[in-house]
Amino acid sequence: MTLLEVAGLDVFHGDLQAIFDLSFSVAEGEAVALVGANGAGKTTFLRALIGLIDRKEGSVRFDGDEILTTPAEEIARRGLCMVPEGRMLFDTLTVEENLMMGLLVKRSGSWTLQRVFDLFPILEERRSSLPRQLSGGQQQMVAIGRALMCNPRLLLCDEISLGLAPVMVDQIYGAFTDIRKEGTAIVLVEQDVKRATVASDRVYCLLKGRVSLATTTHNVSVADLTQAYFGT
Amino acid sequence: MAWLETLVNGALLGGLYGLLGIGLALVFGVMRVVNIAHGEFMVLAAYFAVMLVSLFPHVHPLFVLLPVVLAAFAVGYLYQAAIVNRVVRAPDPLAPLLLTFGVSIVLRNLMVEVFGADVRALPLGELSRASINLFGLRIGVMPLLTLVASVLLFLLLQWGLKRTRFGRVVRATADRRDIVRLFGIKPDRVYNIVMGLSLALGAIGGVLLAVRSSFTPFSGVERLLIAFEVVVLGGLGSFWGALLGGIVLGMAQLAGLKWDPNAGLLYGHLLFFVMLLIRPAGLAANRA
Repeated sequence: MTLLEVAGLDVFHGDLQAIFDLSFSVAEGEAVALVGANGAGKTTFLRALIGLIDRKEGSVRFDGDEILTTPAEEIARRGLCMVPEGRMLFDTLTVEENLMMGLLVKRSGSWTLQRVFDLFPILEERRSSLPRQLSGGQQQMVAIGRALMCNPRLLLCDEISLGLAPVMVDQIYGAFTDIRKEGTAIVLVEQDVKRATVASDRVYCLLKGRVSLATTTHNVSVADLTQAYFGT
Repeated sequence: MAWLETLVNGALLGGLYGLLGIGLALVFGVMRVVNIAHGEFMVLAAYFAVMLVSLFPHVHPLFVLLPVVLAAFAVGYLYQAAIVNRVVRAPDPLAPLLLTFGVSIVLRNLMVEVFGADVRALPLGELSRASINLFGLRIGVMPLLTLVASVLLFLLLQWGLKRTRFGRVVRATADRRDIVRLFGIKPDRVYNIVMGLSLALGAIGGVLLAVRSSFTPFSGVERLLIAFEVVVLGGLGSFWGALLGGIVLGMAQLAGLKWDPNAGLLYGHLLFFVMLLIRPAGLAANRA
């Protein structure tokens, strides 16, 4: 069953076109990696999906409904949620208050404050801290937990390993096993191609705003990926 | 003793000044907009109060505060929704400044047109003259009540922002107005309510100030200046700073008046100037 179906999507930044005729799909419960070099358009694509970029054409269907022109507030309520690049935590809210923001979309599901604390126990210890008092990895956990509190059907994760120590990245990627158990589909945007493909069922590669490769992860060759990544 | 009395009265006046500033601080803190028309809205609230008092002469003047505050909230909500939200996202901070400046001019002239340019006041009868004797100091009842009301409002606002769900949403919107949309929040609607609260607080200040001193349609500028000084003295966006700033300003002003009866607001402004030089980040800068 297809959960997200993107067809012929064009996205614009002012007069510049950033995404060209992009097609992309995610099945229910599936994990999909989206890789590509800096500036390939990965973040732009996610921001367009979630409704934070208005200038776009084409078709985005989520759970059967066209959401291309739906405002971001409404898209979140339908269960399409994002862990934004750079974490984007609310700086004056405590860890717990940041997590509670996820409740505002009013979606029921199995993710509660307690379950997020079970997933990332360190957050329970630091629940009254402000984001700036946390390490980068802990901040990333808050960002993921905050999105999980929305009880998403599809979770978009933008560069969650960026700038983190490898041991932290392992811990965060370990959490995806638990998250997927709930039937949540995941899109992983990464520059770390290896990490992303290991954790996913399928992989898309973006090159200069276009899909340069779309395949399952178990039969992708390093040579194909390199070619798609660098376009050489 | 007379000097002590002056300082105490200055502190009491300062509570009122804090009220003038807090609405401005709230809007600036949440949406980074300086609402130049804040003073005019305060004067408008005072006119509305005078009108209600003359319409219902048997109701105690302090009771008109309730309808005035509700009306001010509604006006603030609509003002934000219809006008300020159009420029709140402008990359150029000059846009909201010019727009609210324009609104202040329009409001001022509308008030001249509707209410005339005469000096008005809000008479409170006995209450405005009553005073009590506290440790040998003569303290006005009304200024005392005003300070108590200000402190209570500051506490209420602080509690609301810290402890309620709506307060959390307001703080989150102030932090990242794009990201709150990912949690189903429309930032514009949050702004509407915040502007409503700001003008409601301003209305309380405006009415209480009208009890203390008379006003004309042109008094908005003066009130904005005080509000502005209070906010900057206290540290931009800091609420307790605004109360503290108000008290410092009130004390400086009354002490200055006692020393030099022709000074008017001069010593308050001088203090503001000196503070800008020695502590530009404001009194509460370290704790904000």
